[in-house]
Amino acid sequence: MLTVENLHAGYGTSEVLVDISLEVKAGSVVALIGANGAGKTTTMRAISGMLKPNRGRVLLDGRLVQEFDASRIARLGLAHSPEGRKVFGPLSVEDNLLLGAYSRLPRFFGFRARAAADLEGVYALFPRLKERRLQAAGTLSGGEQQMLAIGRALMSKPKVMLLDEPSMGLAPIIVQEVFSTIRRLKETGITLLLVEQFAKSALEVADYAYVMDRGRIVIEGTPAHLREDERVLAAYLG
Amino acid sequence: MYTLLIVQLAVSGALMGMVYALIAYGFQLTFATSKSINFGQGELVMLSALFSLTLIDSGLPYWLVVPGGMLFGVILGLFVERAAVRLSLEQKGEGWILLTIILGLLGFSAAENIWGRDDRPFPTPIPSDPLHFFGIDVTPLELSVAIGVLTVMGLVELFKRKTLLGKAFEAVSADRDAAQLMGISATRTIQLSYGLSGLVAAMAGILVAPITTVGPTMASVLILKAFSVAVVAGLDSGFGVVLIGLFLGALESLTSFYLGSGWREAPGLVLLILALAVRPNGVFGKASIRKV
Repeated sequence: MLTVENLHAGYGTSEVLVDISLEVKAGSVVALIGANGAGKTTTMRAISGMLKPNRGRVLLDGRLVQEFDASRIARLGLAHSPEGRKVFGPLSVEDNLLLGAYSRLPRFFGFRARAAADLEGVYALFPRLKERRLQAAGTLSGGEQQMLAIGRALMSKPKVMLLDEPSMGLAPIIVQEVFSTIRRLKETGITLLLVEQFAKSALEVADYAYVMDRGRIVIEGTPAHLREDERVLAAYLG
Repeated sequence: MYTLLIVQLAVSGALMGMVYALIAYGFQLTFATSKSINFGQGELVMLSALFSLTLIDSGLPYWLVVPGGMLFGVILGLFVERAAVRLSLEQKGEGWILLTIILGLLGFSAAENIWGRDDRPFPTPIPSDPLHFFGIDVTPLELSVAIGVLTVMGLVELFKRKTLLGKAFEAVSADRDAAQLMGISATRTIQLSYGLSGLVAAMAGILVAPITTVGPTMASVLILKAFSVAVVAGLDSGFGVVLIGLFLGALESLTSFYLGSGWREAPGLVLLILALAVRPNGVFGKASIRKV
């Protein structure tokens, strides 16, 4: 569903990503793990169009998208829940969710009715968001904002979802909650590329994983395979 | 009797201040989405008013002149975005500052050549015989300014809150990158904000024209006050610009009565200096203004 081939990207003259290739098959959860600064977030940004790649190809559902603007890639079915969550703080929880479905809703009137069923779906997954639906998103706790960011990405009914560091800055108990959500999403057949620093938890939900180090993919394999790799054990699973 | 005179001056001034508020609101619209403003907005006000005058001269009824003038403002706003703003924003530069000033100067020259340098009266069907409210005289013309300003601002605010496109506008203002990830085009939204900004500026020109007369220099003072109002109120509070606009209008009117009409422009500038020194984010502002 999502294929990245020989991707090079960076900021200014410095190249951060060197020759990244990875694949996310339809209905699978793929984890991208690695230390801080390994280039995981940059990879996500280069895929979703927030950062223009210097070289290489990105295929979304068989279509070359690496030249496109981020908003166009989003409209083609890629939902990127970015690092730091980036919810629209001044807007209400419900408005955030409605904007998640922006590309498939009418622009002026009747959008609320059209989105009602999908809203209920997200509220069923995150009952807390329903309680706070009229609250400004910026006043939510970190964990709630993360759920909103995931819910917002789901609202677009994406072909592929990129989820960047959902556990960042959250209390351990909330992190567990986030991972159980990811597990539930996996049961619904979502296609997901997950970036995580908690390698252990990420490998538990993933079907396949890539390990990044200094801008390159150094190891890849199934979680069972990676758990036995000594380098992975030493560096990331301690 | 004396108190009544002061109230009378304050009310007349405040109603004029609504025009400052409307132009300042136009600044806020583009600043919200793009962190840029059109420094030639005064010329946009003036050109729209002159265009509307031409529509009147050609025999168009007033109720068609107003939307006609506003449409012209929208077109000018879109032109400014395309010609002076888009490229420099794409390069993350500040070129728009100089480019919008230059476009304004070009607009000024164009106006002098097309319509001449003279100030001309702007005929209006709205009567100017004063109405009396509790001993204060208010002309329907002054009232039309306040009603027009509040209607336009109210409609734009309604659009922002009630339609999905309006919410997308707010999303781009809150976080441009995240909005793009929702499939919202930032370029289109900035374009929309310049169109709306042109629309409110044209409306301001049409509303104020019957009171001030119309000519190439009609907006040069107006725009300075509007800028003061925008900075004093903060570049993100629509409610704030109305309050500060009313306040500044009243203050000017009283200043010119007590100190002489030569001091009329002083309060706006003093407020601007005070605001920049004490509260650069504005009285009602949250976002910080990047000083350039």
